[in-house]
This record gives sequence, C-alpha cells and structure tokens, in this order.
Amino acid sequence: MDKIKNWIVKKPDLSFAILLAICVYSYFAFTNDFFATQRTGYAIMERFAVLGLVGLALTLCIIAGEIDLSIGSNAALAAVIVVRFTDSLGAVTALLLAISVSTLIGAIQGYFIAYLRVRAIVLTVGTLMLLRGVALFAAEEKTVMLTDFRVPDFISMKVLTFFSPASLLVIAMFIVVGLFMSFTRYGREIYAIGGARKEATAAGIDIKRPMIIVFAISGLCAGLGGCIIGLRSGTAQALGLQYLLLAGTVAAFIGGVSILGGKGGVFGAAIGTLTVNFLNTGLVFNVTPAFMIQLYLGILLMIVIMFQTGSRLFEDSQRRRQLLSDVDLRRLDLLIRKQKYQKPP
Amino acid sequence: MSNISSYFSSKIDSLADNYSALVLGLVVLFFAVFIFGMVTAPNFLTYFNLKTIVRDAALVGIMAIGLTFVTLSGNFFLLSLKETAALAIIAFATSMSAGYGFEISFLFTIVIAMLTGSAQGVLIGLGGNPIVVTLGAAGLLYGLGAYWSDNLVVSFRRPHGAEWLGTGSFLGLPNITIAFILIAIAAELTLRFTNFGRQVYLIGANRAAGRATGHENFGMAIKTCTIASVCAAFVAIAFSAQVSSAQVNYFSSEFGSSGDMTIMVIATVMVGGNSIMGGYGSTIRSSLGAVFISSVDNMMVLHGFNSGPRVLAVGLMIVFSIMVFALVRRGSRSQE
Repeated sequence: MDKIKNWIVKKPDLSFAILLAICVYSYFAFTNDFFATQRTGYAIMERFAVLGLVGLALTLCIIAGEIDLSIGSNAALAAVIVVRFTDSLGAVTALLLAISVSTLIGAIQGYFIAYLRVRAIVLTVGTLMLLRGVALFAAEEKTVMLTDFRVPDFISMKVLTFFSPASLLVIAMFIVVGLFMSFTRYGREIYAIGGARKEATAAGIDIKRPMIIVFAISGLCAGLGGCIIGLRSGTAQALGLQYLLLAGTVAAFIGGVSILGGKGGVFGAAIGTLTVNFLNTGLVFNVTPAFMIQLYLGILLMIVIMFQTGSRLFEDSQRRRQLLSDVDLRRLDLLIRKQKYQKPP
Repeated sequence: MSNISSYFSSKIDSLADNYSALVLGLVVLFFAVFIFGMVTAPNFLTYFNLKTIVRDAALVGIMAIGLTFVTLSGNFFLLSLKETAALAIIAFATSMSAGYGFEISFLFTIVIAMLTGSAQGVLIGLGGNPIVVTLGAAGLLYGLGAYWSDNLVVSFRRPHGAEWLGTGSFLGLPNITIAFILIAIAAELTLRFTNFGRQVYLIGANRAAGRATGHENFGMAIKTCTIASVCAAFVAIAFSAQVSSAQVNYFSSEFGSSGDMTIMVIATVMVGGNSIMGGYGSTIRSSLGAVFISSVDNMMVLHGFNSGPRVLAVGLMIVFSIMVFALVRRGSRSQE
C-alpha cells in the first residue's frame, strides 16, 4: 500500500492519466450496456493500433521538445504506397517499402532540423505540404484500392479474443520503444535535449543523433499507422488522415508530456491513447456525429493546456515568493548581526 | 560503432555545407523555370489573366496578412485559421438568412471572430504553446460551427446586401481584389508608422528586450491573434457573399490547389520571406507571396498539370524558403 502511495506521489501526471482513463471507461460502462463487452474491447484495441502509434510518435517528439506536424501526411503517403504496391509486390514487400520510405523521410527531417537549427514546427509544416504532393503523385490523384482482400482479413483476424495481428504488432512496438527510451544511452539523450537543450549541448551531446532518432521513430510510427489503416480498409487517399494529428496530440498530452519537453514516457502515451479511445468509442456508441467527437477532443486538449499553463504559472510564482522570502530572511539576518556588533551608545 | 557514426555524420556535414551553395543554385534554377514557364504558357501574360491571378490570391492573401502579425510578434502561427473562417461563415450565413441585413451580420461575425481570437491569444500570452493551443481551438471551433449549422448548407437568397462584396466590381477590378489591396496597404502602414506596429517587431525580435521595456507578450498575443482571426472572418464573409451560402467544410476540402487552407496561408507567409521566428518581415512580403504562389499555380494550370505537382511545387517553395532563411541566418544570429 505504501509502495502505491509513493508511486502516486512520485508520478502525479501518470496517476492522473490512469484515473482519467478509469473514469472515462467506467462512465461509458455504466451508461451503456454494450460497452464493457469482449467485442467492444476488441474494437478499442483495433483503434489503439493506429492511434497508439501516432500518440507514441508525438509523445517522443514532444519529449525531445519538438512537434511533428507532418505526421498525417507521412501516414497518408505510407498508406498510398502500401495499398498501391500490395497487389504487384506482395503485402510484406509493400509494407517494408512503405515503412522504410516513411522512416527515411523522418530521419531526413530530423537531420535537417538539427543541421539548419530551425524549430521542427517550421520545417514540418513545409514537409506536410510536400508529402501531400508526393502522396498525390504516388496515388495519381485517385483513391487507390486493393483487389485482393486476404490481407485485410488477415490483419484484423481475432487473436486471444481482444487482439489482432495489427494490435499485437503495435503493442510489441510500444514495449521495444519503451525499453529503448529508458534503458539506452540514445533514449536518455532524447530526454536530455528536450528538457535542457543548452545543458545537454554543453555536456557534449551532439544534437543531431537524438534528433534523427526521434524523427526516424516518428516517421516509422506514422508509416506503420498509415499502413495498418490502408491495409485494413483496403483503400487509401492522398489527402486523408488529417485527423490523426489532433487525436495524437490529445493522447500525448493526457499521457503527461509537457510542451517544454523532457517529461512523459511511453507508458503514459499508451494510457493517453486508451483514454482517447474509450472516449471515441463511447461517443460512437451513443451515436455522436464525427464533428462532435472533434469538438470534445478540442475541449479536452484546451483543458489539459490550461491545466499545464496554470500549474506552470503557479510554480513560477511560488518560486519567486520563495526567493523573495529567502532574500528577506538573509536581510533580517544581516540586520540582527549588525545590531549585535553595534555598541550601545 | 561510435567511430563509424561520427565518420558518417562528419561526411554528411561536409556534404550539407556544400549544399548551402546548391540550395541557392536551386532557387535560381526555380526562378529560371518559373520565367520560362511564364513566357511559354499560353495566355499567361494577358491583362485578364493577371487580374485572375490577383483575384485568386486575394482570399489567401488577406488571411496571410492577418497571420503575418502573429508571426512577426514571434508567436509562430495559428493552426485554427480555417476553423475560425468556418465558424465565421456559418455565423454570417445564419444571420443573413434570418434577415438581419449585411451590416448587422458583418458586425456579428467580426465580434465572434474577435472573441475566439482573443481567447486563443490569452492562452498563448499566458505561455501556452501557440501550435498546441490553436490545434485544440481548431477542433473546438470546427465542432461548434458544425453543431450550430447541423453540418448542413445554410443558404440565403439573392438579391442580398452582401452581393457587392462577393461579385461586384469597381473600375474593372473585382471588389475583393480592391479589398485585398486596401487591407495590404493599411496593414503595412500600421506596421511601419504606429507604435503598435513597432511593438510587434520589438517583441518578435527580442522578447526579453520587450519585457525589459515594458512590452509584455501577453497583450501582444491577444492583439495579434484577434487581428488574424478578424482577417479570417473577413475572408469567410467575402466567400459567403460570393456563393450566397455556407457550410462548415467550405475551407477544409479542396480549397484552391491543396487540401488545406490553413497550410496554404502559412505557406504564403513563409514563401513571402518572413522569418518564422518573428521580428523580421512585412505584410507586403506576405501579399507578394500570395500573388507569387497564385501565379505559379496559374501557370501550372495553364500548362495542364494536375493537383499533385501543384501541391508539390508549393511544398518545395516552403521548404526552400525555410532552408534559404536558415542558411542565411546561420552564424549571424545565435541559436535560440
């Protein structure tokens, strides 16, 4: 029991995220008879497969103190490539091709961000447009479609009642990235350049390597997410998947990242994504139109932002007060000393 | 392992250093291709086509002028422009179809835009990241617009009081073009000759110096976000006056050459040559950027290109502008 209490005190953001996830789940479970069933669990895990990847990608970027706006375009490009080439090259080759293209794009972005010393939002807003153009090119401005539907059947096949090959792959990915972030030097470097970039540079970290790694993982996640969407539905559009950015950002922020960087983790990303998924699925159960879901997501993000900004302002004022009182104490100390040494007249 | 990686990274670095010359060369090449295409495109250099280009540039250009204030003041950009426009177009059309007349509908829409803009400005001014705040606001505003209109088309009957703005013309120029030119001049004069304009540059160029001289970003963020939102609302009104109807997704799908109006506006600001970090640039640059993008687009249409290459061209222009800026700035300004 004490252990749990310590853990909560040590990680308030994460425990808040878990509490929020439980609240959302139990709200829908109590108000809807069909929510807490095996089939819904499977549906939630299927959503998790895509959104989890995007949430993971954005979490890593925000930990590094940057944000990747081109994630939707990258995913759309991967979806177009995988759907277009599955028939001619076979699913596995097409998948590898799409994922390597998107990873390479991510790595190139990361390199240029570090080399040009621009903020990621500046460069990625350009690549957002550029990749849309490339995707339109690759799709020849049409909606590309699969003809062979064995692949969609395979990747959404039920395994162990809750999972499908797609979601199992994503869970494995989460575990690998989580281990990478916490137990390797490269992962710690990513935290370092996010939380304290100047100090990290002063300590001898070359900013290029962590930046390339972060954006390569981000591209990999986006590409894999796009491939899963494309293969599952059997179609892909070059201008689609714009909604991923908002949903992924909400997931990352609920998972406890800070916009200043250096905070948060892979486990938080998973919890944040699950919360968004519970909300999404529950609202769909209650026959909510798609734009209302966007509205709720927007409200959720605004609340989280207000909470973070408010807590930062509060912390700042506390620190200032502490500083002032320290100064006061010292001044008092000096006064007392002076009086001691002054001889009475 | 580390030897190999350092070897490769130094190799890539020397390659990239040579690239700075290459990038500049590519920009020159791009302009050469542009001029070649301009001369060879059928009917490109006619008065009628030039009018079309400026008219096409007007809607994106007005939004870009508004956004330039935000960018110059160092608050990057707003991702909620098209959603603000979506809410505004619904507000305007609903009010017009209820029979309130042009003036009242116009004021009503502008007031709504001011409210949404200043609300975002408060959050940004308090220290929220502009991108994340406006990303959330985008979802919120779009949802509100869709909820208000039930996701249906709101139309109002001709003749109505707004026709002069949408389809009228003065001295052979469409009124929307004239509005674009007037707004561009007014914005430039504001930036150059008023206290407010100089404060925008000060806070954008050096936030610490701004704070030290008593110009906090809090008020500036509110003011600039309000300006950007009002410009977006004005574009929405002009567009709605033109088609006499409104739907919440008018600005989201297939507007112009690319899929996304907001990104198009940001592209315009960047291609015009404004520093995205703030403090350097002008609204005239953004207006010229809008005309430039529109003329490239027009030229490619006349040459018979599909939307893919056109979007690609705009994307390349943005990335080039970022690279040229970063390379020119290198060494002259310390890293942030």
